[in-house]
Amino acid sequence: MHTSPAKLLILIALSLVILVEGRTVLAFFGINIPPLETALIGLVIIATLVIWAIRPLRGSPTKSE
Amino acid sequence: MRIHQYEKIWIAGAMILIVGFIVTITYGSVGLGITMIGDEEETIAPDELNDDEQFGEPRVEQVGENEYAAYVVAQTFIFQPDPIEIPANNEITFYVTSRDVIHGFYVPGTNINAMAIPGQVAELTVEFDEPGEHGLICHEYCGSGHHTMEGLIVVQSEDEFDLTELSAETPDTVAPGEQIQLNATVENGQLEPLETTVNAEIGDQTFQQDLTVDGKSTQNVTFTADSTQLGVGEHDWTVTVDDYEETGTVEVVSNETDEQAGGDES
Amino acid sequence: MTALFVDEYPAEARLVKAAFLSSFIAFGIGALFGIIQALHRTDIFRFIDSIKYYTVLTGHGVFLVIAFTIFFLVGLYQWAVTDSLERGPVDIRFTWFWYGLMAIGSFLAAISILAGFLEQPPMVLGAELRANVLFTFYAPLEANPLYYIGLALFLVGTWLAGIDWFRTWWAWRDENPGERIPLRTFMVLTTMMMFFLGSVGVIVSILVFILPWSLEITESLNPLLTRTLFWFFGHMIVYFWLLPAYLLWYSVLPKLSGGRLFSDPLARVVFILFVLLSTPVGIHHQYMDPGIAEGFKFIAMTNTMFLLLPSFLTAFTVVASMEHGARQRGGEGRFNWLQALPWRNPAFTGMALAGLVFAFGGFTGIVNAGMNINYLVHNALWIPGHIHAQVGTATALTLMAGSYWLVPQLTGNRLVGRQVALFQVVLWFVGIVFMTNSMFRAGLVGVPRRTAEPQYQGFEYDVPVGSMGELNAQLALGGTLLFISAMLFLVLMLLTVFNNDSEPIVDGTLPPALSGPEDSPQVLDNLRLWFGIAFALVVLAYALPLAGIVAQSGLFGQDIPPFPVSSEAVMYLEFGLDYVGALVT
Repeated sequence: MHTSPAKLLILIALSLVILVEGRTVLAFFGINIPPLETALIGLVIIATLVIWAIRPLRGSPTKSE
Repeated sequence: MRIHQYEKIWIAGAMILIVGFIVTITYGSVGLGITMIGDEEETIAPDELNDDEQFGEPRVEQVGENEYAAYVVAQTFIFQPDPIEIPANNEITFYVTSRDVIHGFYVPGTNINAMAIPGQVAELTVEFDEPGEHGLICHEYCGSGHHTMEGLIVVQSEDEFDLTELSAETPDTVAPGEQIQLNATVENGQLEPLETTVNAEIGDQTFQQDLTVDGKSTQNVTFTADSTQLGVGEHDWTVTVDDYEETGTVEVVSNETDEQAGGDES
Repeated sequence: MTALFVDEYPAEARLVKAAFLSSFIAFGIGALFGIIQALHRTDIFRFIDSIKYYTVLTGHGVFLVIAFTIFFLVGLYQWAVTDSLERGPVDIRFTWFWYGLMAIGSFLAAISILAGFLEQPPMVLGAELRANVLFTFYAPLEANPLYYIGLALFLVGTWLAGIDWFRTWWAWRDENPGERIPLRTFMVLTTMMMFFLGSVGVIVSILVFILPWSLEITESLNPLLTRTLFWFFGHMIVYFWLLPAYLLWYSVLPKLSGGRLFSDPLARVVFILFVLLSTPVGIHHQYMDPGIAEGFKFIAMTNTMFLLLPSFLTAFTVVASMEHGARQRGGEGRFNWLQALPWRNPAFTGMALAGLVFAFGGFTGIVNAGMNINYLVHNALWIPGHIHAQVGTATALTLMAGSYWLVPQLTGNRLVGRQVALFQVVLWFVGIVFMTNSMFRAGLVGVPRRTAEPQYQGFEYDVPVGSMGELNAQLALGGTLLFISAMLFLVLMLLTVFNNDSEPIVDGTLPPALSGPEDSPQVLDNLRLWFGIAFALVVLAYALPLAGIVAQSGLFGQDIPPFPVSSEAVMYLEFGLDYVGALVT
């Protein structure tokens, strides 16, 4: 594990929040991301985070929270 | 009291931000002239609205060159007048009051936003740049039908806009041989004189008259048709002034039936 | 490990538990009503008719922002006073008396609201039992008198609670002469001073004007006056909802982070600022009201902006305390210390995320407070967006997180489902962002608040980005997540209460601040002085506007009769016909 499940959960939550709010901010600058694509981006972010988190560590395991 | 150095910086920053916000808003008020709804208007008791000079007949009125006043009454669950027709590129001052409970006066997506409070008159001045239609809604909960309370603001181009009102009447029945008098009244609510033409039709007879109505006044026109020429029976009549049209019917009745009808009435 | 609160103060713990129970019942009903609204107004799923929507809306407001928050507050404050003064109330029977008043009051208000679901409501006190007037109950819309009586009893109970805590403190002061007021008690006392001052408005509004008028003792009232008196109370009350969360952020959060509060004196300054500033700002809810001069609105605006200061100070102190805690736990680096925080602990994570949302929501509040920008958002869906970020998250999520820490100490039971609890607080965070983001965007295109069907015939909203359908779907999704989260919380609380054969693993001790009370000047504890200044500020802000309103249309208005809310539109139709008749003649 690269991180603890608790931190993974919070990272996922934060990235979803940034996605939703960031999409609104981008819309102010005329960059529109349709809902479906937003959902896809969300899924990709979650998948990336999960893969990163459960990827085995190269070195010795650090203390997890 | 001991305050950490970082905290002092933070407090100073916060104060600058706060003062900055106040300055921005003050600039909006003073520099850009965005005034708030205030207490300049006289109060008016809701049960006296019908007798009031302005709210007795909710309407749009011209009050100066490029300046109009709109008197609006909100009540469960309608706005009066509806639709509210106003010209583009003119200063419109809305006077809004309520007949019963507290209502809202809101044009979604714009800064036309006021509360309609019984007893009080909200005054707000706006200008529409473009002709078009805007929804007007009540945005304060006012009872079970609140969500149905909507009106319409119709912004017309300056050329198209007028405050002309046409009314016309004839007797319901005339005896053969009598004259049919069609009285048309043209009211001009604007300050500029109105130059127009009145067209009328009674049965198959047509009439036309040029007319100039001074600002804020009314003019009467009378057209006369001979009932004998039209013959016994019902005849439609129409009066048009610009885009306004009034229609009705007049009946030429022979004497016997007239008596019968008269007998029925009494 | 020290003794648990329940073991040390069993009698007080019982009261705190009773208050929390009332709070959580209200929370459950309020949350249920919340999801009904989220689905109804977006037209995704409508299973009640739109008239009953307003019953649901009234219930959602009253149960959540009156009952849930204030019952939790009195429970939390009873705990804080008892624990920090290390003594119980002077007479616990008095304590139960005020709790009883609050319970009866909220019960009466609740049945008058819930009667809105009946097809044939009973006649009570000479009128149909109805209260579809929302929690702001703007006259001349009229509820059954029972609703106002319930609210009045509830408020009186809350007043007595404040008096009870002052009595406890006076008794403690006699036993401990010369000592500083412990921080948590200081927070309780200042909050209640604020409440005493600010609630005068609504109490006068109900007892002098609305209740006699609804009982037909008086014939008329001045709607602008009762509305202004409501908002005299109405902005103070939002801080009354918020300050329990502040108390937890200042006292419990630093400890959960693994450290200590950064600064005791600044915490005191913050609470004093709330006493001073939270009432003379209420007119900022009335920027769009006729009958209040522009100058008074300007004064309310500047006062409101200065109210940002205590929240900025809080942001600093709370984050600094968290960083201190993280470094005690071995956190290093400029930002890496964040990783050392106890994210696994739902109590900590809930409070931290609530604080984050509060910071964001605070900026939306600045938009509301900016009086000329307010034209764009007044009574639009933007406003509930702001409310749900603030009371709906900063307060509600903090209170839920605090419950995970406090309830085990009150029951002596171990918290059930710590991981589910963590998921619950994170779910709330995600849900609120989905919902409020949609509300802010919809508000900016002009979708109004407080309506069963924001779909109109005469026009379409001009949505620059996306569509109304998308905004509605996002709102409903957020609302659903929040509802699931709320139910999870209640289930965990229920399971914890019945988790009898367990030992809680909570340490209830709270460490002293890094910079303790010895660093704060004695004058901060001079509560009389601060109350005096607060009173003067309220007089300055409100004397002239109130005098102006009374001078314009009289103390009792100009023949303003009641308009009882009714399940049927008949009354309105009759009224409309009268009106049309008047036009014709």
